[in-house]
Amino acid sequence: MSTTRSQVFEYERGAAAQELKDDPLHGEAMVLNMGPQHPATHGVLRLVVTLDGETMRDVDADVGYLHRGKEKTCESLGWAKFFPHTDRLDYVQPLANNIAYALSIEKLAGIQVPERGQILRVLLMEVSRIAAHLIYLGTTCIDLGAITMFFACFKERETIYNFLDAYTGHRMNNTYVRIGGVYADLDETSTGILRTWLKDFPRAVDTFEKFLTGNRIWYDRNRNIGIIDRQMALDWSLNGPNLRGAGVDADLRKLEPYSGYERYDFEVPVGTVGDCYDRYLVRVEEMRQSARICVQALDLLEKTKGGEFLSEDRRYVLPPKGDVHRSMEELIFQFKIVTDLRLPKGEAYVPIESSKGELGFYLVSDGTAKPQRCHIRAPGLMNVQAIPILSRGRLLSDMVSLIGSLDFVMGEVDR
Amino acid sequence: MVIVKRKELSFAERLYLPEIFRALSLTFRNMFQREITRQYPEEPLPKTEVTRGQPRLVELEEGSLACVSCGLCEAACPAYAITIDGGETENFIEREPKLFEIDMLRCILCGFCEEACPKDAIFMSDELELAGFTRKGLVYGIDKLRRPRAALQKRIDYVYRINDRWRNSSSTH
Ligand code: SF4
Ligand code: SF4
Repeated sequence: MSTTRSQVFEYERGAAAQELKDDPLHGEAMVLNMGPQHPATHGVLRLVVTLDGETMRDVDADVGYLHRGKEKTCESLGWAKFFPHTDRLDYVQPLANNIAYALSIEKLAGIQVPERGQILRVLLMEVSRIAAHLIYLGTTCIDLGAITMFFACFKERETIYNFLDAYTGHRMNNTYVRIGGVYADLDETSTGILRTWLKDFPRAVDTFEKFLTGNRIWYDRNRNIGIIDRQMALDWSLNGPNLRGAGVDADLRKLEPYSGYERYDFEVPVGTVGDCYDRYLVRVEEMRQSARICVQALDLLEKTKGGEFLSEDRRYVLPPKGDVHRSMEELIFQFKIVTDLRLPKGEAYVPIESSKGELGFYLVSDGTAKPQRCHIRAPGLMNVQAIPILSRGRLLSDMVSLIGSLDFVMGEVDR
Repeated sequence: MVIVKRKELSFAERLYLPEIFRALSLTFRNMFQREITRQYPEEPLPKTEVTRGQPRLVELEEGSLACVSCGLCEAACPAYAITIDGGETENFIEREPKLFEIDMLRCILCGFCEEACPKDAIFMSDELELAGFTRKGLVYGIDKLRRPRAALQKRIDYVYRINDRWRNSSSTH
């Protein structure tokens, strides 16, 4: 027998009101600062909590402590030089940010990415999604006191980072996506690392579920906490697993496929109640589905071996090293592209489904070497906005599960 | 679309005690498994030619730098880490940097300078560690940046290998 979402919601409200009345300390408000250096706020989020006993009466989420002016930086740096900066937005999935930025530029300039480049991008995006969800799971668990889970998640993530190290040369902040494709092809070593890991990974996810799904503490601290119902999720423009956890079947990979996502066979998990527990279940299922996409992408890469992975469009893509020595023309292109890369007039916005939700770069070009405007649509900001309304009337300890399950990275929220 | 299954706790799980024993058994099992922790400074990660460490300048056999101070790397650097001042020499290749500084505190090891250089004069080495007592000391000049070509040869070959993609079709341009 299951209760409907609205029933649970009603019950929750009533229970919270009752709790407030029963609280012996009721009546004395206390203002408490949670963060910006609190480990459970996942970065530098400051929450001004007005407490009534142990119940939160009001919460004010104060963002902006990590503001580095990324949009303005983009406008002053120029098109190609902004790539390393996108890495530092949502720093748990740098490659997905690179790709989101590249997609908008490519739409603006009308560049076709070769097939192999698209497959590689899908692979990188899904690998980053798994890495990001592992961070969510690990950090949320350690905030709730489950240290074992933290290590179990980071052990899996370590292999992903080994793969990225072998492929891109960096573990974090990879900067490996270029306008028109990716910088280098996948080699045997890194493919091997990924294939072996993908074989074991579904079993590891099962282990996570065995640890958590039936665990009483995890259950009590997540179940029916922070319920987002369908309408509220849409009203607050929440996105990503938070939206899908609330029962809305919205995934940009299905709705507006980019980079050839329509070729892959995968399911979009959605929740029923919309509490922290549902969001956890959705993310765990997403990890499984991402692993499935990775396997399919690797198979496709096998088939397209030797194909192009970077566009040959000499207006925007650097010529290969050897040719620069041999041909005057290529040398001129090299100088032209590095010093003065211009994009045609216009504007473009191509959103991707990152691990946090809809991530996109809105770029306006006036035909010069620098963007006139760059707006970053960061999914994390929308998710942070939901904190006050979700936490009102709840116990302070629920805040920790709530922050963990909304899953935002402050680098992206504040940008 | 799949709807995720919400699990209801069974009686044993509600009791909590069996769960504790299950967890303890897991802990004990793990005691006999292979260690996965890496003792970092003692056991560094293997460095390959793919590793993008700090950029270094290539020194040719004759002892001069390959760099002609064209300024492309300076223009490509997203962190404004490079400062170049060009000058003339008596050598066959007449231009040489008088001043070539990379502020290692600013450098983000992105590799854009390597990609931009038209003379194969700057490459990413596998040197990663960076420590110093003063900020000034971490602004590397030519004397600290130059490396004989042989020391960077593996990386140079690698960059050529991944750049190989248009070798055959390049004549059309
Ligand atoms: S791009 Fe190469 S040749 Fe030009 S200044 Fe930089 S290192 Fe020297
Ligand atoms: S690696 Fe990147 S940041 Fe460092 S000097 Fe080269 S271009 Fe600049």
